[in-house]
Amino acid sequence: MSERKRLMIIDDDPDFVAGIRAILDGAGYETEVAYNPKDGFAALKARPHDLLLLDIMMGRGAEGVMMARKLRKDPALKDLPILIITGIREQIAFMFPGQAVHPNFVPLNELIEKPVEPDLLLERVKALLQAAETRGQPVS
Amino acid sequence: MEGKARILVIDDEEIVLDSCTEILRGEGYQLATASDGMRGLALVKEFRPDVVVVDLKMPGLSGFDVLARLREADPTVVTVVITGYATVSSAVEAMKSGAYDFLPKPFTPEEFRLIIRRAVEKRSLTFEAMALRRERDLLREHFAAIVSHELKAPLAAIQQNIFVLERQLAATATPDQRERLARVKARMADLIQMVDTWRRGVSIDIEAIKSRQVPVSVRIPIDKAVESALVYATRKAVTIDVAVPEPAPRVMGDQGTLTEALVNLLSNAVKFSRDGGRIEVTAEVRDDEVRIAVTDHGVGIAPDELPHLFEAFYTQPGVGGERGSGLGLAVSRRIVEAHGGAITVQSTPGQGSTFVITLPMLGDDGPGGARREAEPLAASAKDGPR
Repeated sequence: MSERKRLMIIDDDPDFVAGIRAILDGAGYETEVAYNPKDGFAALKARPHDLLLLDIMMGRGAEGVMMARKLRKDPALKDLPILIITGIREQIAFMFPGQAVHPNFVPLNELIEKPVEPDLLLERVKALLQAAETRGQPVS
Repeated sequence: MEGKARILVIDDEEIVLDSCTEILRGEGYQLATASDGMRGLALVKEFRPDVVVVDLKMPGLSGFDVLARLREADPTVVTVVITGYATVSSAVEAMKSGAYDFLPKPFTPEEFRLIIRRAVEKRSLTFEAMALRRERDLLREHFAAIVSHELKAPLAAIQQNIFVLERQLAATATPDQRERLARVKARMADLIQMVDTWRRGVSIDIEAIKSRQVPVSVRIPIDKAVESALVYATRKAVTIDVAVPEPAPRVMGDQGTLTEALVNLLSNAVKFSRDGGRIEVTAEVRDDEVRIAVTDHGVGIAPDELPHLFEAFYTQPGVGGERGSGLGLAVSRRIVEAHGGAITVQSTPGQGSTFVITLPMLGDDGPGGARREAEPLAASAKDGPR
């Protein structure tokens, strides 16, 4: 990693965000947070990011899923790797009836459950960033 | 039912229609009449009756035909049949095919009023029952959602910050502080797991399990379950021996939930084992069925407890005082039953218990399929879960 990677966190739970942010900051990442999908989307459009950490159950329901769908349709953001961090794994399944438990929202994504052990979090983030790089697409 | 109850009377005799109308006048019903089956059925669509009174013996479409078509169109409509005095047997026939009650001719006005009142009551009870059933389903779903989000979210946030604290204090904390933190973390992990199990207990979706079933070798869920139970077993120095024949029998199953069912049995086995104990997991084929047995040599279960074992929220403290959610076995049973299988238990107090999951075996279809006859257990303890 030549320069600091910039990670976007979209999650409506400030306490949980504080928990993962400290781990990511401690590992040398630059982190930015939005506490709702709307602000998050605006921030993603405003400046380039290398990875998005996305919560699923926000606001009135599965707003994270809508967010991911929106990103998939956006030419500038569709290649942004996404790490979905969800409270309940099966919530993904029932939102996509008939699909695998881990549907591919975007070309690069990964799913982990809350709470997440620091080492696992860092490993997944690193792996996704590396995968994005080997795809040869400058994500930013 | 909103507003006035709607009654439709179908009879070919004009005098019957007239007298029915007369009897019900002023009773607060909305009434419609039809002089034959076809007209009656046509009227059903626009009039949307709550109760249909139909003469069994009519030219053209008979009362039985009308009953059959009504059932098809809307099974919640309450039907009453009118029969000749001498043909009670056909009334019985009509009730077998879904009529709510019958009225033998000739009848008094009071009899007619009474039967209509009861039929209308029956109709509103049917609606009430339907509404309650819907409400129950909604509550079940909502409860699952509430438990999952409202309880799990704060627990996850707390645990996430404990993880951070542990990291930040790694270099400076005293052994005592470190141990305290480890205790907090472990209890929090137990709590989160319990919430997950409860949620699964209420929300386990049998239809979803059925729809996800694919051919799967029993080796896979067994290995995964053993792997997950090993962490806990190692803490108590309990060993787990696995014996599955090669090639392993296959079943139609959902790997994730089958693993979960086995994990529940295995964690119970560990929980009720004494330190340094041994647990055996075996799979064998018997009469086109796969029997997966989990045997422990622990404290066993008293005979009077056996019948309650698979009930939700039934719980007994483990050897080390471990508490469970009381849902593990109930969840396992629902999962196994969704697979068309059964779960049984045998136990001797002081000597241990054997839980057996029986699943229909998937027939031989090409390489990798299971052999039909039972065969001696090929692998032994040494082969372990790998």
